[in-house]
Amino acid sequence: MSDSAHSAPTNPANLSSAEINEIESRSFRAGVRAGSPSLIGIAAWGLVVGIAMIKSHFTIMQALGMTLIVFAGSAQLAALPLIAVGAPIWVIFLTGLMINLRFVIFSVIIAPHFSHLKVGQKALWGYLTGDVSMVFFMRRFPTEQPEIGKFGYMKGLFVSNWLAWQIGSISGIFLGNLIPEDWGVGFAGTLAILCVLLPMVLKRATLIGVIGAGAVALLTFHWPYKLGMLLAVIVGMLCSMAWEEWLESGNSITGGK
Amino acid sequence: MDDLYIWSVIAVLTLGTFLSRATFWLVGHHITIPKRINEALRFAPACALAAIIVPDLLIHHGKIEASLANPQLISGIVASVIFLATRSMLTTIILGMAVFSLVRLFV
Repeated sequence: MSDSAHSAPTNPANLSSAEINEIESRSFRAGVRAGSPSLIGIAAWGLVVGIAMIKSHFTIMQALGMTLIVFAGSAQLAALPLIAVGAPIWVIFLTGLMINLRFVIFSVIIAPHFSHLKVGQKALWGYLTGDVSMVFFMRRFPTEQPEIGKFGYMKGLFVSNWLAWQIGSISGIFLGNLIPEDWGVGFAGTLAILCVLLPMVLKRATLIGVIGAGAVALLTFHWPYKLGMLLAVIVGMLCSMAWEEWLESGNSITGGK
Repeated sequence: MDDLYIWSVIAVLTLGTFLSRATFWLVGHHITIPKRINEALRFAPACALAAIIVPDLLIHHGKIEASLANPQLISGIVASVIFLATRSMLTTIILGMAVFSLVRLFV
């Protein structure tokens, strides 16, 4: 791994580099396994975006280029109607940026886990962060404590997520003209996220936040640039915090954690 | 469609993906996040997922529809029960999609 001073994983058992590599590759496979049930949903969403690009009269090359390097489904979907009316590039840029803002919050959570990596690695893995991979990573490694195997696990989640997305999206690009638009296949992605979310709301503080975020998202769904979603995340976090605070102040029983 | 325009769009959207996701990885160690904000951020992924799917489940034909006339809501409820009973994501997605398609076809 890296020689950098801060928070490289400690190596208390003095493992050889071969042993460390073995642990990392085992963790990679564990990461792939942990994320695998969600991949069908991710691929279904990719499929929807692929179809949408072809139906917007992208050439195959343009659609492939977009899916392979933009890698941001909701930003791509939002850009399509703007492209259709020939909106200025900077408008499309700002729209894409707005829609991606929740990832700034995610990166604040996940980046400290990997502050020991080299710059190129940070840029690559940061870029590959996905919503669902984020949740699986946090479930396995809730604290920032450096640990051997963490990097492998994250790579397993991110790589499989990226592959599932691209396979779905590229299938959509090539099958796009054969598949009717109202097929509703994207709902598989919604169901996948539902399954990821359900075990999380067993913790009361998270449930409170999820209800708050869901309510705000519902009331603001017509806002432009998915700004309502960003507000929903912030309000949800505040609800969860308020609940924990209230437990701690009014209750001698330990609060939730 | 104008090729240069599309590729420019692709370039700026890629920049947007990169800026939002990777910036903090690259500069984050220079910034100290207050402890309370860090605690609040633990809840962000769950809240984001909720913000994605709650409208998917409850918005039907452009408005909030919390009734049995909403196929997403019906299949979402059925899928939740299936998932809590089986803990299998794959089973839930397949059966949930089956319910979703049937309700849309026949109701």
